[in-house]
Amino acid sequence: MRSWEGYVRERLSLPDLPPEREARIVRELGTQLEDFYRDALALGASEADAEAHALRQIPDWDRMAQDLWLADRSRAGSPVECWLRKIEDRVRGTRTGGNMLADLIADARYAIRELAKNPGFALVATLTLALGIGATSAIFSVIDGVLLRPLPYLAPDLLVRVHETVPQYGRFSVAPGNFLDWRRENQVFERIAAFSPGSGTLTDGDTVERVSNAEVSFDLFEVLGVPPMLGRGFSPEEDAPGRNGVIVLSHGAWQRRFGSDPGVLGRTVTLDGASMTVVGVMPPDFYFPSRQTELWSPLALDPADAPRGAHYLGVVARRKPEVSLASARAEMETIAKRLAERFPANAGESAEVIPLHEYIVGDSRASLLTLLAAVGLVTLISSCNVASLLLGRANVRGKEIALRAALGAGRGRLARQMLAEGAILALVGGALGLLLAYAALGPLRRLSAGTIPRVDEIAIDGGVFAFTLGLSLLTGLGFALAPAWQSSRLRPSEALRDGSRSSTSSSSRRARSALVAGEVALSLVLLVGASLLLRSFRSLSSVNPGFRPENVLTFSTSLPDGDYPEDHDLIQFYDALLERLRSLPRVRSAGMVQSLPIQDDYFLSFAIEGRPAPPPGEEPSANYRVVSHGYFETLGIPIVRGRSFGARDGVRPPLVAVVDEAFVRRHFPEGDPLGRGIDVDNGRDGSYEIVGVAGDVHHDGLDRTPHPTIYVPYPQDAFGTMSIVLRADSDPLPLSASVRDVVRELDGSLPAYSVRGLEGVVSESLGERRFSMLLLALFAGTASFLAAVGLYGVVSYTVSQRTREMGLRLAIGASKSSLVRTMMAQGMKPALAGMGIGLAAALALARLLETLLFGVTPFDPASYAATALLLLLVATVACFVPARRASALDPLVALRHE
Amino acid sequence: MAFSPELKKGSIEMLVLSLLEGRPRHGYDIGKRIEERSSGKLKFALPTLYPSLLRLENRGWIKGRWVEKPGERLRCFYRLTAEGRRVLARQRRTWKDYVAAIEQVMGGSGA
Repeated sequence: MRSWEGYVRERLSLPDLPPEREARIVRELGTQLEDFYRDALALGASEADAEAHALRQIPDWDRMAQDLWLADRSRAGSPVECWLRKIEDRVRGTRTGGNMLADLIADARYAIRELAKNPGFALVATLTLALGIGATSAIFSVIDGVLLRPLPYLAPDLLVRVHETVPQYGRFSVAPGNFLDWRRENQVFERIAAFSPGSGTLTDGDTVERVSNAEVSFDLFEVLGVPPMLGRGFSPEEDAPGRNGVIVLSHGAWQRRFGSDPGVLGRTVTLDGASMTVVGVMPPDFYFPSRQTELWSPLALDPADAPRGAHYLGVVARRKPEVSLASARAEMETIAKRLAERFPANAGESAEVIPLHEYIVGDSRASLLTLLAAVGLVTLISSCNVASLLLGRANVRGKEIALRAALGAGRGRLARQMLAEGAILALVGGALGLLLAYAALGPLRRLSAGTIPRVDEIAIDGGVFAFTLGLSLLTGLGFALAPAWQSSRLRPSEALRDGSRSSTSSSSRRARSALVAGEVALSLVLLVGASLLLRSFRSLSSVNPGFRPENVLTFSTSLPDGDYPEDHDLIQFYDALLERLRSLPRVRSAGMVQSLPIQDDYFLSFAIEGRPAPPPGEEPSANYRVVSHGYFETLGIPIVRGRSFGARDGVRPPLVAVVDEAFVRRHFPEGDPLGRGIDVDNGRDGSYEIVGVAGDVHHDGLDRTPHPTIYVPYPQDAFGTMSIVLRADSDPLPLSASVRDVVRELDGSLPAYSVRGLEGVVSESLGERRFSMLLLALFAGTASFLAAVGLYGVVSYTVSQRTREMGLRLAIGASKSSLVRTMMAQGMKPALAGMGIGLAAALALARLLETLLFGVTPFDPASYAATALLLLLVATVACFVPARRASALDPLVALRHE
Repeated sequence: MAFSPELKKGSIEMLVLSLLEGRPRHGYDIGKRIEERSSGKLKFALPTLYPSLLRLENRGWIKGRWVEKPGERLRCFYRLTAEGRRVLARQRRTWKDYVAAIEQVMGGSGA
C-alpha cells in the first residue's frame, strides 16, 4: 500500500502557508484519501481499482491548492480580527444597512490580516505615519493652546487692551490722569479698568515671601466677566487712597498659602508693610495679567492728583457688543487728541486699541504658523512615502489581486480593499502619533516656557484629538488613492499571465518617482528654512551683548516705602548689602542696577544743555540706568573714555553721568561729550555732567541695535527695587544660598528673589528663536530621513523588478558597475528633479521667514548650496545601497528569477 | 436528481454544522453522512468539502483535534464550538423562514 500522506505531499504545494499549517493539511488529506481507498477495498474492489478510486477524489491539484489557500485566508489571526469577525457575523443581515456595515468590517478585517502578514511593511508604514502625524499633532496642540483657544474670560472677543502711543517710544503704558479721562469720556466701552502689575512682600505670621501682585481698578473682575469664587470683589469706595486695605487672592495662593481655608475671608495679612483684609478668592482658571499673579488690591488712583507724565498703567476694556473695533479705535483716538490739545504733557500722544488676544499672542503667531506649515510638510512627506510603499506592494501583490478579480471581486471592491488598508494604517499611525505627541508635550512646554505666551494651556484635548483623527483619515485616504486607482484599472488576464511585469508596473514606477521627487522637494524647502534659522541663531548668539554674562549671579530686592521712607535709608541699606556681598568668598566684585540689560527696559527723555529745546513731544530719549559703582567692572562693560563711577559720586552734586558710544554717535557726532551737561527727566533738578563713555550694551535684546544709554550713580537717583549683580571666580549659582542669607541678616523681612545666572537671562532672550530653530531643524531632519527612505524604496523595488533583465544584461557582457549606474539612475533622476523643484519653491517661500531671520538674507546662497549638497549626498547613499545589490547578482540565478 | 453547484455551495456550511451538533466527526465521516442522510442526493467532493472545514474552523465555529481511537488510525475530529452552536441556531431559523417564504410564493400545497 502506498503512503497516502507522501502522495499528497508530492502533489500539493502551498508555499504561501506557514509550514505547520501545510503539514496538517497534507496529513489530513492523506488520511481521507486512505479512507476512500479502504472503503473501496471493503466494498470488494481490487487494490488497483480502490487506489484509482481514491486518486480520482482530487482531480485537479492546482485548483485544490488555490481553494485551500483561499480558505486559509479566512483564518482569524489576531484577537482583533476574531473580534471584528464576531461583530461582522452579528450585524450581517440583521437590519437595514447591516450588510453594508458587515462589508466594511470585512474589509477592515481583511486589511488587518494582509498587514499582519507583512509586518515589516506595516511597521515601516505606521512608524512613518506616526512620525508625521505625531509631530503635526504636537505642534497643533501648541497652536490650539496658544492661538485658538479663547481666553478664560467672559466673551473674550470683546476685550481689548488700550495703550497710549508716544512719538518717541511708540506703544506706551498709560498715565493715571489720562486713564481717568478715558473712563469718563468714552462711550464705546461697557467698562474700562486699569492695572499695575508688580511684586510685593507678603507677611503672614512668621512667613515672609515675595509674591506677584497687581493693583487694579475696582471693576477689573467685572470687565473680565469673572466673579470671585468666594467672597466678593472690590467696591468703588475701596478704590480710593487710604481705603484700599483689601485684597482678593488667586485660587493658587488660597490653596498654597492658606491651605484652601474657607474661613480665609476677613483674615488680615501684611503686604509691603501695610495691613490688608482678604475679601475674596478667585476661581481656579482665572489669571490676570499673568498666571503668576497671586493677589489683587485696589489701585486707588487719586483723581485730584493723577499725573499725566508718569506712564505705568495697563488698561483693559470691554467693548459694547454693538460697537465695532474700528469705532472704538476712532473714539479713543479722538479723546486722546482732545487731551493732547488740553494738556502740554500729552503733546503728540494718541491712543491705540488692540484685541486682548492679539496683544497676548503677539509675535508668537508668525513663528508658530511657520512651524505648523513646516510640520504639515512633514506629514505630506510621510503620506507620500506610505503611498509609494503601498504602490510598490500593490504591484508585488498584482497576482493576488488579479486572482481575486478573476474570482469575481469587482473593481470597486478591490479599490475599497486598498482604501481600507490605507485607513487602517493611518488610524494605527494616528494613534501612535497621538502617543508621540503626548510624549512630546513635556519637552515642548519646557522648551517654550517663558518664550511663548499661554504655554501652560497647551494640552492634548478633544480638539487636538479630533484634529489628529481627521488628519489620519485624510492622509489615509490620500495615500491609498493611488494604489486603489491602480488596482481598479488592473487587467486580470495580463496580471495573471505575468504577475511581476504587468502593464501597471511602469505606470506605478512613474507614480512612485513623482512621489519621491515631491518628497525630496519638500525636504529641501524644510532644510533651507532650518539652515536659515540656524544661521540666524548662530549670528545672534555670536552678537557681543556688550557685557560678559558668564560667572555673574543676579538677584533682586525690593525695599518697602514704609520701612525705608527716605533716599538715605535706601542708600544705607544697599551700601551695606554690597559691602557684605563683596566680602563673600569667591565673589570678585559686586554692583547693582535698577533694570537689568536685555530683561527690562527703562526709557527717559532728556535735554542736552546749550542746545535749543525741541518742540514738546519730540525730546530725545535714552535708556536710563541707575547703577552703583562696581557695576561696569562686574559686568565687564568697558569704559572707553573718561572715568567710571566711584565712591566719591555721592548724593550731593556735582551730578555726574556716563553715556555709551551709541549716545555719543547719535548726539555728539562732532566731538567730545566729556564735560557736557544733560538734563534728565528723572524728577531731579540740575544737569548731569558727562564724565565717561562706556561701551555699547544691547539693552533691548541681542537682535536690536544698541539704543543710546545714560548711566547715573545710584545715590543720585535712589530706587527701592534693585537688581544686584555679582561676579564670581567660577560657576556663580552655588552662591545663591549665601546671598539669601546676607539679605536676611540685613533685614529679616526682606526676601531676595529672581536669583539666577546672568547667562540664563541672555539665553532666555533667545528662547523663542531657539524654539523655532530646534523644531524646524528636527522637522527638516525627519523630512530628509523620510525622503531617503522613499528613495531607497524606489530603487530597491526597481532592482527587484528588473532582476531578470539585469541577469540577461550580465549574461551578454554588461559590466556590473554599469548596472549599478543604471539602477541608481532610477532614484537619482527623481531626486535631482525634486531638488530643482525644491530650490525654486524654497526661493519663493523664504521671504515668509524674513521676520524670523537675523544677520542672514532669505536668499543666503551658502544655506541653499549646503542644503542641496547635503540632500544630494543623502540621495546618493539611499540609491547606492539598494543598487549595489544589482552588482552582486549571479546571472544564472537572475535569469531564472520570477 | 442533481442540484446545481451554487445551491449546494450555499448550504454546505449549515450541513456540516448540523452534522457536528450531536457529536464530533472526522472529515471523511462528515462527507459520508451527508451522502447517507440525503439518500445520495447531496454529495460533496473532497475538494469542496475540505476547504469548507478549514473555513469553518478559521471562523471559530468548529474546532479540529487529532484523536487516536483504539483500533483506529489517528484522525482529526471536528466538534462544534459555542459560537458555532449559536450560528447554527441562527442559520436554522433563517433557513426555515426562507423555505416557508419560498413555499408561500410558489404555492407548494397546490392552492
